[in-house]
Amino acid sequence: MCFKILVFVKQVPDTTDIRWTEHNTIQREGLESVINPYDLGAVQLAKNIKSALGDCKISAVSMGPLQAKEALKEAIAFGCDDAYLLCDKKFAGSDTLATAYVLSQFVKTHCSDFNLIICGYQAVDGDTAQTPSSLAQRLGIAQITGVTALKDICNEYSVWIKDTSAYKQEIKITHPALVSTTLKDIDFTVPVNGWIKAQTTDITVLSAGDISAETSKTGFCGSPTQVKKAYRPVIVRHTELIEPDNCEEASNSIVSIINRCKEQDDN
Amino acid sequence: MTTNTLVYIEINNNKIENVSKEIISHVSKNFDDTSVCGFLTVNTTLSESLFSELRQIGLDKIYIIQHEALKDFNVEVFSGVISQLISNIQPQVLLMGATVNGRELAPRIAANLQIGLTADCTDLKIEDNMLLATRPTYGGQMMATIYSKTLPGFATVRPGAFLKRNFPEKNTEIVYFEANFDGVYEILNKTEILSTEYKPQTDDWTNSDIIIAGGLGLKSKENFEKLYKLCDLIGAKPAASRAAVELGWAPSEIQVGQTGRSVSAKLYIALGISGALQHMTGISNAQKVLAVNTDKNAPIMSCSDVAIVADATAVIEALTNKFS
Ligand SMILES: Cc1cc2nc3c(=O)[nH]c(=O)nc-3n(C[C@H](O)[C@H](O)[C@H](O)COP(=O)(O)OP(=O)(O)OC[C@H]3O[C@@H](n4cnc5c(N)ncnc54)[C@H](O)[C@@H]3O)c2cc1C
Repeated sequence: MCFKILVFVKQVPDTTDIRWTEHNTIQREGLESVINPYDLGAVQLAKNIKSALGDCKISAVSMGPLQAKEALKEAIAFGCDDAYLLCDKKFAGSDTLATAYVLSQFVKTHCSDFNLIICGYQAVDGDTAQTPSSLAQRLGIAQITGVTALKDICNEYSVWIKDTSAYKQEIKITHPALVSTTLKDIDFTVPVNGWIKAQTTDITVLSAGDISAETSKTGFCGSPTQVKKAYRPVIVRHTELIEPDNCEEASNSIVSIINRCKEQDDN
Repeated sequence: MTTNTLVYIEINNNKIENVSKEIISHVSKNFDDTSVCGFLTVNTTLSESLFSELRQIGLDKIYIIQHEALKDFNVEVFSGVISQLISNIQPQVLLMGATVNGRELAPRIAANLQIGLTADCTDLKIEDNMLLATRPTYGGQMMATIYSKTLPGFATVRPGAFLKRNFPEKNTEIVYFEANFDGVYEILNKTEILSTEYKPQTDDWTNSDIIIAGGLGLKSKENFEKLYKLCDLIGAKPAASRAAVELGWAPSEIQVGQTGRSVSAKLYIALGISGALQHMTGISNAQKVLAVNTDKNAPIMSCSDVAIVADATAVIEALTNKFS
């Protein structure tokens, strides 16, 4: 029986290349878009499963504007078999709760017979790491957060390594299930014909209606969290600048500050 | 009007996580007119020592959910029973530490209760009875202050973001919450932990009183060794910028900043660190920041309390002599 994997990918701005407008907002025009680096880790794990099981189909899924087709094409070039873009004006401005709702509606209406969902641990533009957990809850399935490698897999279950700063675990999980991965910055070599396949594979674009999503639960209006303000952090400290003549003088100043800090401690 | 704040008291290896205490510290100091309640999950009767500690962390009331199925952390089981507690007591504010478990648990609770969640916050306040949660975004280049249209206002908090205070004795009321555990064993059967290997933990250095951090201005790994020695002499803890970690001069566990740890030291000394925003967001809650840099115009020199123009390595050597 064909093993069905869904890989969720997000197109994100390249956060290493952010420019500011004069109003301290992010200059969005001309900002490079890339596939979220953690999602490439998810694609890699899906490919590992495919080579282990053989009979396996990997679908890449993204929610976003039409432009996000580029990220999906990239996912196909890297080895996904087909791709879906969940695209609707009513999805714009979705927070994680609303996003997970949209993704879950897609799963319920289009691939309820999936075996495994793989997500990147977090998106680099939001760093919230909420969507995978939120989606797993919506679908009522078990999950492992932050896997680093696949140990063993068959159609019924898989065994994963989770390696955190506190512990290393081997966890067995019964399918259907969701795993998110902290693997990123994968050094991909696009398989022969990868880009050709990406150009010739149709990406299915689905609207809110196509996935039976209630639009009161999506987008800006369906999102409970709202940004009150976004700003460039400014650090306000009143600086005392000391330009000592020599190192002795510098270290004397530091010693007195350290001692004052320690005294403050005692009372 | 009083706000009811509910805080998850996370317990690992029979110890209360620091971040839980940091959250209570911040809430009791900064939220006017709030009652602070906690909740925790356990599989057997709490030890006497833990009981007495629970009475000393500034809580008005603590809810305990006790059941043998809560032995190991299982996100599905935990989120299910915690959601029941929240629906039952309906707090206005719900806070958890953004720990490994907390970051997995909170979104499931939020999805279950269909409420908004702001993750990994570094500041919290109450305005008009509403939780305003601030977090770094866009790789630390921006801060966003977020509120939620739903109740409770729900946030996870970065470990180390708040200063842990000493609490006055309080007459903490203890309440056992009876949750419904139907179907819990079927859920537990879906995942099985085959093995766990705990890694040796360096004790939590992020809220020590004095932290001395080094950056690229330290020039070499050898100078980091000297920094460690100096820290031992002073009773401080060492830290590093990401650039120094990337060069292998310092281990990643001691990286400070957006992709490292947040610190709330009384005194943070930055030696040869330029002061990139991603570094500075990690020390925004340090009480005093002292920077040593050869470049008077380095960004950090205008956002520290004391900025000393000097060579970092020479300063380490001079200080080592003085404290030996
Ligand atoms: C998404 C993202 C996340 C990031 N997360 C983090 C993070 O968590 N933490 C972090 O630290 N960085 C982070 N960074 C990197 C950050 O942008 C900076 O590159 C980094 O902090 C610089 O480290 P540094 O100050 O040690 O080095 P530099 O910027 O190279 O600064 C070295 C400083 O040392 C001074 N100096 C040189 N010689 C001497 C001397 N002899 N004595 C004294 N001073 C001297 C120089 O004047 C200079 O100011 C992140 C970046 C990105 C894009």
